[in-house]
Amino acid sequence: MKIKNITLIVCTALSIFACTNLEEELFDKVKDEDFGKTPKEIEALAGGAYSSLRGFQDDISNAFPASEYVFFLNEVVSDEANIPTRGTDWYDGGQYQNAQRHTWTPDNGMILSAWRYCYAGIAKINSIIYQIDQSGLTEDAKKPIFAELKSVRAYYYYMLLDLFGNVPIVTDFEDLGLPANSSRKEVYDFVESELTEALPYLRADIAYSKFTKNVAYALLARLYLNSEAFIGQPRWQDCIDMCQNISGYALEPDYFANFATQNENSTEIILAIPYDNDAGTIGNYMSSMSYHYLQRFAVSPTGDYPWSANGMCAQPGVYSDFDDLDRRKASMLAGEQINLSTGSVIIMDSGQPLNYTEDISNFEDAKQNEGVRLNKYQINAGDQWERDNDFVLIRYAEILMMQAECYVRLGSPDLARPFLDQINTRAGMTTPSTIDLAYLDKELLREFIFEGHRRTDNIRFGTFFQPWWEKGPTEAYRAIFPIPTTVLSANTNLTQNPGYPN
Amino acid sequence: MNNKYSHINFPKGKTRKSFVLIVVLFFLTLTINAQEKKIVTGTVLDETGITLAGATILESKTINGTTTNFDGKFELEVAVGGTLEISYIGYTSQQIQITANTNAPLTITLKEDAFALDAVKIVSVGYGTMKKSDLTGAISTVSSKELVQGTITSTEQVLQGKVAGLVVTQDTGDPSSGSSLRLRGGTSLTASNNPLIVVDGVSGVDINVVQPADIESVDVLKDASATAIYGSRGANGVIIITTKSKKKGLSFNYNGFTGISQASNHLDMLSANQWRGYVRDNNLTDAIDFGADTDWQSELERNMASTQSHVINMASGTETGGLRASISYLNKEGIIKTTGMERLNASLNTHQYILDKAIKFDAGLFANIDKWHPLDYRIFERAFNLNPTIPVYDADGNFTEVGGTLYENPVEILTNRNADSKRNRLLGYFKTEANFLNDFQAILNLSVEHNANTGNTYKPTYAVMEGRSENGYGQKTYGEYTTMQLEAYLNYNKEFGKSTLNAMAGYSYLNNIYEGFGAQRSGFVTDLFEYNNLGAGQNYRLGDVYSYKGKSNLVSLFARANYAYDSRYMFTATIRKDGSSRFGENNKWGIFPSGSVAWNVTGEDFMQASEDWLTSLKLRASYGVTGNQDGIGEYKSLSILGVGGDSYYDPATDSWSLAYSPAQNPNPDLKWESTTQVNIGLDFSLFNRISGSLDWYNKKTEDLLYTYEVPQPPYLVGTILANVGELTNQGLELTLNANIIQNDNFNWDTNFTFAKNTQEIVKLSNQIYETDVIYSGSLHGLSGMSNQFSQVIKEGYPVGTFWGYESSGLDENGEFILSDEKTAIGNVQPDFTIGFGMNFTYNNFDFGFTSYGSFGQDVLNATNMMLYDPNRLPAYNVPDAYLDSGINSAPTFSSYWIEDASFFRLQTVTLGYTIPFKNSTSKIRFYVLGENLAVFTNYEGVDPEVNLTGLDNPGIDRFNNYPRPTTVSLGLNLSLGY
Repeated sequence: MKIKNITLIVCTALSIFACTNLEEELFDKVKDEDFGKTPKEIEALAGGAYSSLRGFQDDISNAFPASEYVFFLNEVVSDEANIPTRGTDWYDGGQYQNAQRHTWTPDNGMILSAWRYCYAGIAKINSIIYQIDQSGLTEDAKKPIFAELKSVRAYYYYMLLDLFGNVPIVTDFEDLGLPANSSRKEVYDFVESELTEALPYLRADIAYSKFTKNVAYALLARLYLNSEAFIGQPRWQDCIDMCQNISGYALEPDYFANFATQNENSTEIILAIPYDNDAGTIGNYMSSMSYHYLQRFAVSPTGDYPWSANGMCAQPGVYSDFDDLDRRKASMLAGEQINLSTGSVIIMDSGQPLNYTEDISNFEDAKQNEGVRLNKYQINAGDQWERDNDFVLIRYAEILMMQAECYVRLGSPDLARPFLDQINTRAGMTTPSTIDLAYLDKELLREFIFEGHRRTDNIRFGTFFQPWWEKGPTEAYRAIFPIPTTVLSANTNLTQNPGYPN
Repeated sequence: MNNKYSHINFPKGKTRKSFVLIVVLFFLTLTINAQEKKIVTGTVLDETGITLAGATILESKTINGTTTNFDGKFELEVAVGGTLEISYIGYTSQQIQITANTNAPLTITLKEDAFALDAVKIVSVGYGTMKKSDLTGAISTVSSKELVQGTITSTEQVLQGKVAGLVVTQDTGDPSSGSSLRLRGGTSLTASNNPLIVVDGVSGVDINVVQPADIESVDVLKDASATAIYGSRGANGVIIITTKSKKKGLSFNYNGFTGISQASNHLDMLSANQWRGYVRDNNLTDAIDFGADTDWQSELERNMASTQSHVINMASGTETGGLRASISYLNKEGIIKTTGMERLNASLNTHQYILDKAIKFDAGLFANIDKWHPLDYRIFERAFNLNPTIPVYDADGNFTEVGGTLYENPVEILTNRNADSKRNRLLGYFKTEANFLNDFQAILNLSVEHNANTGNTYKPTYAVMEGRSENGYGQKTYGEYTTMQLEAYLNYNKEFGKSTLNAMAGYSYLNNIYEGFGAQRSGFVTDLFEYNNLGAGQNYRLGDVYSYKGKSNLVSLFARANYAYDSRYMFTATIRKDGSSRFGENNKWGIFPSGSVAWNVTGEDFMQASEDWLTSLKLRASYGVTGNQDGIGEYKSLSILGVGGDSYYDPATDSWSLAYSPAQNPNPDLKWESTTQVNIGLDFSLFNRISGSLDWYNKKTEDLLYTYEVPQPPYLVGTILANVGELTNQGLELTLNANIIQNDNFNWDTNFTFAKNTQEIVKLSNQIYETDVIYSGSLHGLSGMSNQFSQVIKEGYPVGTFWGYESSGLDENGEFILSDEKTAIGNVQPDFTIGFGMNFTYNNFDFGFTSYGSFGQDVLNATNMMLYDPNRLPAYNVPDAYLDSGINSAPTFSSYWIEDASFFRLQTVTLGYTIPFKNSTSKIRFYVLGENLAVFTNYEGVDPEVNLTGLDNPGIDRFNNYPRPTTVSLGLNLSLGY
């Protein structure tokens, strides 16, 4: 046939133009199979496990643990914080209101962000482990690297265990099947065994921000502390034992040294997520999520401080619960804010003075100045949007408080006293004569306010289920969050957590 | 014999005319005439002053005649008192009385006969041309005369309202913003829905490389039989632009105009006095009156924006070659201060025949430079927000600094940031055509397109937001792409008996390389350098310097055959095989076939009875498959690692290093979106006065690309680009052209287009990927609307379906009454679109207008939704109308804010007067041009014509209200020809 012949002739004639070469040529990217061959490359791969801890933002969620949805979720369902709606601001589909009132639904954006934060990290670590496994390193050389990577992964699974309970466990990068839920007990056992098996290969020294032996002990201690809440089996003594394995840390004499711009020098921080604006880290702007829009004039006479969004604040009652002598009360900012250029009180656009009040008159329509603000991390005139303070995950104070709590729960409050004395002395307070769970509950709030612990503590102490400010009693099933709607719809092998609509 | 539809190509036509001439001369010598005779000489021209070779000159009621020579000249001995009839195919014949006084050479200007011309009109069909009468596919042609005129900064706009089914949207009045094109509804969720642009045979180019003044004609390929020859790039239609070239004579042309523009509309916000009245009436003692009277919208605007444009071209042509050169300058100021567009353009077109026309060389070069200042669109929301009593400047002459997040001084933002952008476009091609063995033609077309963008930004240390906190911030970016194409194809034309066969087969190789880099620094000691000395910035962040590069190949084989029998039955079949480096390894090659038939009903004997009124009637039917591969970027199918700013801390060295992380889920099955289209149409003309086309189509797009959410793990990242869904578009298109009156001094033409498209998403899931609904139309960034969406992509609904609470108004407290469940509350797809224009000429005057409209589309007026907020006063401004609205409820997304945004826009009105020269190939025309003089709509926002494309904010009016200008221009058109 003519056309065929013509086609043939043309194609033959032009075969010099590489008729069918359709391989993609890469320039600024690298195929995964071509990477991970040298020690430096392996290090760069493993580093991804740590960078994942800072979270991410995409079209679907804002999964930053240090400032937005992952952080918010833990705070605004607890009794220490809330995000009131101010006019239109911070309504956002009612997601903060539902969270505070414990009426959240599976399509809450904060819940999705927390889920995606954890599983993004897990999926990434699974791929890193796979790639390093292919790299040709000796088994012995792989062991410490894998131990470290698996510990980071266990940290994510610990968060999932705490937040969602019955989650799928996926560890094999090559397994492409859609995973089904594991029971909360299975997830609990998995976290315990992963950390336990990693321990012998983890480094024993103090290496800031790295997953070391001390970090693994601390995570296991947390696991045992919450064991009763997670799986109904109290393991108070195991928690104490783990705490006692931890060494090399001491309380900072100044509580706020832990939250300074240069807090990497703290002797108390066991685990933190490092941030450095110059290193291009993103997702660390918690202060700007809390202060009033005009706070910048109280920080710098020229207003040289990033804008703030006037969001999260303390629940009414929290501020006044702090003794005025308690140094930790400065974790909150209350009262009139002075414009440094004029020396007088900042006037809001409404004409009212900017005076942070503890009271919030209407949770659904709060005034701009209502609610005392988060003020824990150091702020400075000239700060960039991305702050340099490292985000603290585990402090030595937590190790002390865990032991104190376990001794009280084991019926030996006297053994708790030395630990509490350390905490109280630094705070400028004294340990009360009676040490009971009610006291410990409040003391945990005071020591760890706005550090993302409160929801877990509320659940362990049962206060989570009691009525408070904006909510009535909470049903037990809400101790874990529902699996997000879009996750369920994309994976039909998953079942919703009990109590939630499917 | 019906000559009108016979196939005439150039060499053959010439033979036929020579034959006529010989016959005529033969009879002439036999005629003995006793009357007084005289020799008459003259030149025959078309309306543009181009000489017409081969025009027939016949003395009425005799067989005495001749034809014009190559220069359009003739000489004929005629009886005094006789009448000369001058005719040329495609032109209205003219008669001239010869008297004893007819001494000077005659100059005869023939007018185009739109209807006669239609049949012989040559249409580009991709890799070749066809006579319009032989087409089997749905193709609309717009000639240079019909293109929309005006202060056009994006070439797309010349087609607005001109082609049924083609919607052109420039969604703001910003001269630097481009336009989007959409033919027969979108076929894709994420990929571009812009048609493929072909300029002088070079496919896939940026339409703005060609300026309106250089365009000869535009052919819009609509159905699959027409577009399938472009395979995996044809699903959104193909627009073929043919630029002007010079065939005969010499000409020089200047066209210049200068215009002034003003904003056509504003939102009526409270003035300072209205605000004070409100505060007084409501006894708001806390309210702060800053003492000024500021109209923040006007503060952003120029009182009068000016535009000037100059186009100069010269051209010369002979029988063996031609040259056309054009240079143009356009400077259009935007309504908003600092904005505008400045374009310098040059083009050169040349062709040359050698070896007795056996070989033709054709070369073209188009180049332009655009310069503009990008605008920070945040200013509009702030202009609506700010209290009208706040002065722009404080007592010290500094910009007043205002409070909250969305309330910064917009004039400060506009003034204190320096942004300059520049874009260079270059298109060059060299085409060689060889004619051999009578029936064969081989064509080799080599082309290169090179586009480069430069961006510069500086935010000085005194700029209130980023500039101050970063101590000065400078940035430079550069990006470019180069596309090289080789296309080689062979044409075969043969007539045997009543049959005509045209066959074409070819090969195409395309190679695209893009690359670029950028750098930014902050911490400047002085603002003097602006962005010109980034090294002076003392703060360095990881990620402040970057570069990138990528490459793709597209290899294609294609073939087409047309067969026509007796100009009554036409058949076309095409096939294209495309291989792209972007496709996943399991789907490297795609095949795109099509077939179509046409029946020229009026060619049948039994139709002779209706010849009086039914001039022509043709029925067409086609079926074909085309693709869209725009949604797949390079490397999207691979498993790759990137360094996207992913750093980690090393405590041992107290330093940061970059981590390498997986960038995406690999998808080896990734491929083009596939659109199957059926088209049934008819072309007709009535009474030799009215012509038109009617088309019905049904397009089904499968393997829709979307970034689907997937379970993670097992997937590496939470989303994957995959081919999953399915959607359909179905529609009807009508084009009508009528020549209502045509006589010696008055002519009246009109044109009308109508199109209706209905879209439905059929599927979003397959065996692997499950999706119930995709939320789109994000409201993120509006106060209190973080994480909120206004639209859904859902099976059974079109793209851009608003999904929310149905509102039945306000209750007695001013609260919205809302339904319990969210439901579909509107959609952004218009019910139908129309285009309408008329042209009149009366002696030397000409008058015309163009207009277009879109009906039935819904728009979310998010601007009003946010501004009608009881919490705003007295601190922030509200629209006048808010005070009477009775609303006493915080902004809530519901059907309350969804408006019918139907509109009809009077796009251009022209009035011109032409002074003819004695030498009628030259003329001067003066004209007045008005643009956007009126828009008829019930929409309450600033402008009903908002962006309707993409998934982010189609049909959402949200503070991006760059006002559209109303422009009046005065122009001069000077043509000199020899």
